Amino acid sequence: MRSDSEPTRWRGRVARGAAIAIGCAVILAFPAVADNPYMLTVGIGILNYAVLATAWNFVGGFTGYISLGHAALSGLGAYGTALLVTCAGLPSFVALFVAAALVTVLAIPIGAAALRVRGASFVIVSIALVLILLLVFQSWASLTGGSRGLVVPRPFPALHRAEHHRVFYFLFAALLAMALVAWWVIDRSRFGLGLKAIREDEDKSAALGIATFAGKLIAFVVSAAFTALGGGLYALWFGDLDPVFQFSVLTGSTVVLMALLGGVRHLFGPLVGAVIVGAGLEYGKLEFGDTPLHLVGTGVLLGGVVMFMPEGVIPALSGVLARWFAPREASIREVTAAVLLDSRREPPPRSASGEGPAEVDR
Amino acid sequence: MALVFQSLVLGVLLGGLYALLAAGLTLYFGVMRVVMIAHSAFLILAAYLAWYFHEVTELDPLLSLPITVPVFFAAGVAMQRLLLARLRPATRTMMSVLLTFSIALIIEGGLGYVFTGTQHRIQLGYSGTSLELFGARVAVVKLIAFALAAAALLALYLVMMKSRFGQALRATIQHPEAARLIGIQTERVAGYGFGLGLATAAIGGTALALDSTIYPSLHWRWIGPLMAIIVVGGLGSVPGTAIAAMVLGMLMSLLQIPLGTTWAQTVFYLALFATLAIRPQGFFGGRLAKRF
Repeated sequence: MRSDSEPTRWRGRVARGAAIAIGCAVILAFPAVADNPYMLTVGIGILNYAVLATAWNFVGGFTGYISLGHAALSGLGAYGTALLVTCAGLPSFVALFVAAALVTVLAIPIGAAALRVRGASFVIVSIALVLILLLVFQSWASLTGGSRGLVVPRPFPALHRAEHHRVFYFLFAALLAMALVAWWVIDRSRFGLGLKAIREDEDKSAALGIATFAGKLIAFVVSAAFTALGGGLYALWFGDLDPVFQFSVLTGSTVVLMALLGGVRHLFGPLVGAVIVGAGLEYGKLEFGDTPLHLVGTGVLLGGVVMFMPEGVIPALSGVLARWFAPREASIREVTAAVLLDSRREPPPRSASGEGPAEVDR
Repeated sequence: MALVFQSLVLGVLLGGLYALLAAGLTLYFGVMRVVMIAHSAFLILAAYLAWYFHEVTELDPLLSLPITVPVFFAAGVAMQRLLLARLRPATRTMMSVLLTFSIALIIEGGLGYVFTGTQHRIQLGYSGTSLELFGARVAVVKLIAFALAAAALLALYLVMMKSRFGQALRATIQHPEAARLIGIQTERVAGYGFGLGLATAAIGGTALALDSTIYPSLHWRWIGPLMAIIVVGGLGSVPGTAIAAMVLGMLMSLLQIPLGTTWAQTVFYLALFATLAIRPQGFFGGRLAKRF
C-alpha cells in the first residue's frame, strides 16, 4: 500500500530526474573543467571506486551478504587482462573482455563454495580468498612478476598522457553507467525482489519458494563480472600491477565503506559514497602525505558509519529534506522487518547475546 | 627423520599459540555471536607494548604482562559495552565484522604512526640459546612462548569450568534467555567474557614478541590462519578450535620442508575451503555453528 498522494509522487519524480541530469552533467563536464592531469587522475580514481562499489552492491545491497573480498575479483580481472596482453598477445580491449569472462566463469565455483555459509563465515571466506590470492600472486613471480610488479602495455601508444587520461575517464564513466543500469533493472525486477527477500529473511524466503541459492549465486556472478571489468580497465589505465595493492583487504573494505556510507539500498548510494570517501582519501594524501594516518581515518569513518549511520547518507539526507520541504508527507521508508520489530520492542535493556529465542541451543 | 621430528615439535609449539588466540576468538563468538577481526591487531598491539616496555625499562618483556593483561581486559569490557552491544541485534553479526575491522585499521595505522613502519625485534640474553629435545633443537624463547600459551589456556579452562563466573559465562553462551531467567546478568557476563578474550590477545602478543620480528601490518599474517582455524574447528567450540589449531599448526610446519614457508601457509586456506565444501559447520563444530 502506498500512501503517497499523486502530486507528491510527481514532485519526487521530477526532483529525482533533475538530480540524475545534474549528476550526469557534472560527471561528463568534469574533464573539461579539471584543467590539470592530476585532477583528472583523481576523477578516474573516484570513478574506478564507484564502479567497484556499485558492482559490490549487487551482492551487498540486494542479498545483504557483506563481502570484504571483492578485491580478489578485481585483482583477478586486472592480472587476467594484463597477462592476456603480455603473454597471449591479445589486443588490449579483447583481453579485457576475455579476462572478465574468465573471472565470471571462475566466480561460479567460488560463489557456490562461499555462499554455502552465511553471516560471519561468509565474511571470513571472502577475506581468506583475498589473502590466498595475495600469497599465490606474490610467490608465483615467474608469471606475475611478484612484488617487482607487472607492466601492462598502454592500449593507445599514440596518445600522450593527458589524452590517455581523458579517454579512460570516459571509459570508466561508461562502465559505471552500465553497472548502474544493470543494478536498476534488477532492482525493479521480480528477481530483485527475491534477492531482497533473502536480505530480509533467508529462511522465510526459501520457505516461500524463492530459489535462494540460485539467486545469491547469480547476484554474486553478476557482481564478479562488473568487478573484473573494473579491475581490468584499471590495469589498462594504470599500466603497472603489484599484488599488494591488487589483492588488498583494505581496498575491499574501502569499497564496502563507500557503499555503506552512501546507502546500500539506493541505486546511487555507492557512487555518492565513492565521491565522498575517494575525495576524502585524496585530500588526506595531499594534506598529511603518505602516513599510516589514512588507515586511522578509514577506520574511524567505517566505525562511525556502522555505529551511527548503517543506512547511509542518502536515507539520512532525504529524511532531513522530507522534514524540511514536506512536513505532512506520509512516506513509506524501506526498513527491514527486523528493524521495525526492533523499534517497536520495549526500549533497552537489549539482549546482550544474539537474537533471542530463535537462537535457543537444543 | 630428524628434520621431520624437528618441524613436528615446532608445529606443536606454534599450534599452542594459535590455540590460545583461537580460544579468545571462540569466546567472543560464544557470548556475542560476533567475529572479531581486530583480535590479531590487538595481538600485534600487545607485542608492540611488550617490545616498548623492554626498550624503556630494559626489563624482561614477560614482566609487562601484569600491566597489559588488566588493560586489555578492561578494553575488552569497554569495547563490548560501548560498541558491540549497541549494534542492532538483527544485523549484529555482519556489522560487528565491519566494526572490528575498523578497529583493526585504527590500531594498525596508529602503530605505524607512533612507532613507524620499521621492523622491531626484542634482543634478550637468552634469545640465541636453544635446547636439545630428543634430537630436535628448539629455541628457548619458543618454549617460553608455548609455556605461556599453555598456562593461559589452562587458566582459561579452570576459570570456565571451576569458578562461579565461569558457570555463568557458559550458561550465557549456551542459552542467554534461560541464563537471564535464573538471575544471571548476561550483559555484564558477556562484557567480562569479551574482556577475557582480549586478555588472551595480550598474553599471546607478549609470547609473540619474544621470538619474532614485529611490524604494524603483521596482523594480516595472523588473521587468515586464525579465521581458518575457527571455521575448521567449528565456530563456538573451544576444544574444537584447539584441536584444529594444533593439527593445522603441525601440518604447516611439516609442509614447510618440501614447499617452503610461503606456500606452506596455503594449507590454512585449503583447509578452510575443504571444510566449507564438506562440512560447513566445522569439523568439531557445535550446534551454534549451524546458524552461521
